[in-house]
Amino acid sequence: MKETLRLQYDALVIGGGIAGLQSALDLADQDFKVAVIEKDATIGGKMIRLSKVFPTLDCASCITTPKMAAAAHHDNIDLFTYCEVNSLDRSQGRLKASITQKPRYVDPDKCIGCRQCEYQCPVYVPDQEQGGFNLRKAVYIPFSNAIPQLALIDVEHCALCGKCAKVCPTEAIDYFQQPEDFVIEAKTAVLATGFKLTPMDQKKEYGQGQIPNVISSLQMERLLAPHGPYQRVIRPSDGKEPDSIAYVQCAGSRDLSLGISYCSRVCCMYAIKQAMLLSGALPLADITIYYMDIRAFGKGYEQFFQNAKAMGIEFVKAKVGRIEQGENHNVLLRIEEQEGDGRVVRREHDLVVLSLGMVPDWNPAGICPVGTGDDAFIKCVRPKLAPTLTEMEGVFVAGVAAGPKDIVDTIAEAGAAAMEASNYLNSSASGRAA
Amino acid sequence: MSTNQEKKATGEQKKVGIYICHCGGNISDHVDVEKLAENVKDLDGVAVVHTNTFMCSDPGQELIQNDIRDGKVNRVVVASCAPSLHELTFRGAIKRAGMNPYLYEHANIREQVSWVHHGDQATEKATGLVAGAVAKALRLQPLEPIRVEARRHATVIGAGVAGLRAACDLACRGLEVALIEKSPFIGGRTASLGRLVPTGEQAEEVITQIAAKAMANDKVTIYSCTEVVGFEGFVGNFRLTLKRKPPEEPYSAAEPQKIRMDHLEKGEFLPAAGIFPGDVPDKEQEIFLETGAIVMATGFRSYVPGEGEYGYLHSDKVITLAELVELIARYPDRRGRFLQVKGKPVRRMAFIHCVGSRQIPGIHEPDQDGRLNEYCSRTCCAATLQAAVQIRSSFPETQIFDFYRDIRTYGRGQEEVYREASRQRVTFFRFEPEDPPRVQKSSGGKFPLLVSVKDTLTFGEQIDVPVDLVVLATGMEPTPIKELVEMMKLPVGADGFLQEVHPKLRPVEVANTGILLAGTCQAPMDVGEACNAAQAAAAKTTAMLARGYVELDPFVARVDPERCKGTGLCREACPIEGAIELKERQVDGKTVVQAQITPALCTGCGICVAVCPSRALDINGWTLEQYEAMVDAIVAA
Ligand SMILES: Cc1cc2nc3c(=O)[nH]c(=O)nc-3n(C[C@H](O)[C@H](O)[C@H](O)COP(=O)(O)OP(=O)(O)OC[C@H]3O[C@@H](n4cnc5c(N)ncnc54)[C@H](O)[C@@H]3O)c2cc1C
Ligand SMILES: Cc1cc2nc3c(=O)[nH]c(=O)nc-3n(C[C@H](O)[C@H](O)[C@H](O)COP(=O)(O)OP(=O)(O)OC[C@H]3O[C@@H](n4cnc5c(N)ncnc54)[C@H](O)[C@@H]3O)c2cc1C
Ligand code: SF4
Ligand code: SF4
Repeated sequence: MKETLRLQYDALVIGGGIAGLQSALDLADQDFKVAVIEKDATIGGKMIRLSKVFPTLDCASCITTPKMAAAAHHDNIDLFTYCEVNSLDRSQGRLKASITQKPRYVDPDKCIGCRQCEYQCPVYVPDQEQGGFNLRKAVYIPFSNAIPQLALIDVEHCALCGKCAKVCPTEAIDYFQQPEDFVIEAKTAVLATGFKLTPMDQKKEYGQGQIPNVISSLQMERLLAPHGPYQRVIRPSDGKEPDSIAYVQCAGSRDLSLGISYCSRVCCMYAIKQAMLLSGALPLADITIYYMDIRAFGKGYEQFFQNAKAMGIEFVKAKVGRIEQGENHNVLLRIEEQEGDGRVVRREHDLVVLSLGMVPDWNPAGICPVGTGDDAFIKCVRPKLAPTLTEMEGVFVAGVAAGPKDIVDTIAEAGAAAMEASNYLNSSASGRAA
Repeated sequence: MSTNQEKKATGEQKKVGIYICHCGGNISDHVDVEKLAENVKDLDGVAVVHTNTFMCSDPGQELIQNDIRDGKVNRVVVASCAPSLHELTFRGAIKRAGMNPYLYEHANIREQVSWVHHGDQATEKATGLVAGAVAKALRLQPLEPIRVEARRHATVIGAGVAGLRAACDLACRGLEVALIEKSPFIGGRTASLGRLVPTGEQAEEVITQIAAKAMANDKVTIYSCTEVVGFEGFVGNFRLTLKRKPPEEPYSAAEPQKIRMDHLEKGEFLPAAGIFPGDVPDKEQEIFLETGAIVMATGFRSYVPGEGEYGYLHSDKVITLAELVELIARYPDRRGRFLQVKGKPVRRMAFIHCVGSRQIPGIHEPDQDGRLNEYCSRTCCAATLQAAVQIRSSFPETQIFDFYRDIRTYGRGQEEVYREASRQRVTFFRFEPEDPPRVQKSSGGKFPLLVSVKDTLTFGEQIDVPVDLVVLATGMEPTPIKELVEMMKLPVGADGFLQEVHPKLRPVEVANTGILLAGTCQAPMDVGEACNAAQAAAAKTTAMLARGYVELDPFVARVDPERCKGTGLCREACPIEGAIELKERQVDGKTVVQAQITPALCTGCGICVAVCPSRALDINGWTLEQYEAMVDAIVAA
């Protein structure tokens, strides 16, 4: 039997989103050796998939790529993408992570990212990286600023026609590649596994994702991105430029019927941001935000909200009771107005965006002994003085893995986790207890 | 004509590569990138021109690196976003490819072009800027960063929870730390709080824990009763003058009798004051300190309502949230039918949110210093509801009415506090900033005050609520540190808080290298968030000082000894103490006086260059010759 590869590091970071990357950089800059494990084929997390980011309205790619590139090129950081963590335990003072490298069906040492395979592949698949609005091939590089620039084959859709293998100049295509297990040992770890959106299909009243022209906020991020699927904002069902767009806030947050009682903390701000970007892209469109409370609490956020109001974006304090299919591909909202005379009214919009909330992307149960809170995010044992401490010794948490937060708060927390991890490395090196 | 062949033939000449970025569409939607490439490809010295969707992405950077490695270029011009975003990214890429990173020039065709101009004009202007950059690139010299020794010592100003957290972490990583606190106590504003939202932990315990940790660490020296009165130097080598003097004032606002500090023990907690760090000075003393980096943790103060603002100062039954929280904190175990305030039972009370926060120009009046707090103070909603829940559970007959604009219980566990408040039958009214609640003394009746509001939760109904007590949820303002700001030239934002370089790229650093931000001196935060920020700042500080040296950009003044006549005009004009000195030098057996630069102090502002009558001064990387060539090229393009 082949012996499993064992790699040694000071620190292990699980999750290559902005939280994981920032933690890795802050540790590496202190001369610690860091391994970053990412389950996706590229690092960057949600942030690299956004359009522009509040409150500065910087283009998301422009701020994420330098951090991605800095991590990729750092002498003290190694990236392991497209990897699954099977277990993380502590024994004899060291953490041991058992990891599976998922097969890309492309030899990473040979692939030069030239995309010849992608151009030749005859199979088209909806591209989730573009909100499902575009098509990609069955062999593909996730997107133009993905890191690493390595192709992978989507086996579910691959027709095994052999075209990619034929055209690849370095013979990198390997249909028979197998998953590979390896072990990373480290003294400390940072969990930065982030979030996914609350699923669209759960809420019956909101059409369970079946109504055309009701899209998720991440899909809207793609429509607004400069290199998005259509290069402009049109509604998916018929390509019409929408004249009236509505945002439904707290869709999948603060909603006991879904078992999600907490506030997702970013959706007010991203809705306002998208509304502002939309009024730039479609100056004539009416934009309405239906909300319960506007939570613009961060530095510069309230001013951002007031600017949006001044730009003519309509804020309606109302709970959206039901979303239905209207005529001409339009969408009907049934709302209980809280201002005005409080009747239940119907309003029609061309396009409706659900401001979906955040749920954790990873459940540590059965993989490592860190507990989670009632909200299913990773539990912080000292939320005031050391917010990144988990139940497991030497294991810290950063970013949305420890509860919803925006990028600014995520980056601060990632720095804090790096500090705790380096303190831990320091104290274990000098033999002191943590 | 085969320009390329010609260029190759001449061998070791300067070969400029131009790399033009689409920035997704941020640039290419307005600038015709291909036309721009065409316009500049035949400029003197240009060897290659490339375009890419994202020049800063890995494939984009590789494009540049491959050209360098293949010997196609030895000068690089990137035309993309503002240099503040990516100059360092590209210098890094160039360096990794084995070229001197200062043989690089950046043309900003996004902020200066595509975001402000459209159509042909945009492409024209971009052409001019790139031509200028090429002209400069041809005249660039290789430079080396200035390496200065750094003291493995950090200073933290302010010993609130953020300052204490930062001090502990820095010391843990082996740095000597000076923790400077102006009051005789450490712990900051947290010492005035009770049960912290959302965990319900006692503030006293939290603050005692971290203070004990700091006091127990022999690498941390605590200077209480101390302020910074002198500041000089640069990253790695700051020199501070501290003034430590005996306290004059009583320290507890709630118990204004003079506190006998000689009776306190080290580590003892005094409500609303903090933890006693062990001693108070009996006479004034001055202390000098050499330090490598400075972490600002000067915290916040509560907004003080103006006279008559919601009845404040017109009735002693109108108090602030800070006062209420301090009151509850002192008697955490008190129970009864009614909450007692100032000796009177409170049968009904009102909270009013956003007092001194979320102010809107035109609706709210600035205070006498012209301050208008447009920001949300972030902590007051949750703290208000926490207080409400606590009062409802300890004093079940005290009724609570809450007047708010938006309830901002955003944080983990906070929404539960909101829900609990509703469950405990706190009654909510919502108002618009244009129609705020009015607080009046009632004429007769059972209750001294009347709060009236147009409630937008009940369709704009006018509602009058008679109460015994009104609590104003006052927000946060930065602690006034005008002297420090002026002395250290700290950047301050429009909101009055200290300003970071960039909220996402460099969130805990200010533009002045070596100075970092921790906690509420930067923006409103709760205790957990302040600790996160403090730890992030500590991580950056350790990374900066760990190696014992720091590297600075070499864009500083240099003197041409052939030309310098020692007039000293430059020294007079230089705004930085010690950056230019006149020194004697031996030239051909004769003693001459000439200017000499201390590179680590020079900020490269260029004022000396402008006053030198003999053109003996230049700024590395920004020479007059380079400027002139740029201007000529832009005009010619
Ligand atoms: C529509 C929308 C718009 C937004 N707009 C803004 C904005 O304008 N400004 C702003 O500040 N914030 C915005 N946000 C919030 C922002 O996306 C988050 O703050 C940020 O992405 C959090 O980063 P993270 O690294 O914690 O998590 P993520 O970005 O989710 O990254 C986590 C990473 O970990 C990986 N991972 C997960 N589990 C595992 C595992 N078991 N093993 C290995 N890897 C794993 C994931 O694949 C992912 O790459 C927005 C969010 C949404 C949904
Ligand atoms: C009414 C109210 C209720 C709150 N409730 C909660 C809650 O329930 N939960 C929660 O998590 N947070 C709460 N907070 C927020 C909490 O108080 C802050 O997050 C915390 O105090 C911030 O700590 P800091 O160190 O940044 O600032 P501070 O606590 O303000 O400390 C700053 C320190 O710096 C010192 N200083 C200032 N200037 C100088 C100078 N020039 N030289 C030397 N020293 C200086 C000050 O004396 C002080 O000791 C509440 C705040 C308020 C106002
Ligand atoms: S941030 Fe706004 S939209 Fe999102 S859950 Fe909270 S209140 Fe609702
Ligand atoms: S936290 Fe609440 S009370 Fe405080 S300023 Fe913000 S909205 Fe107003």
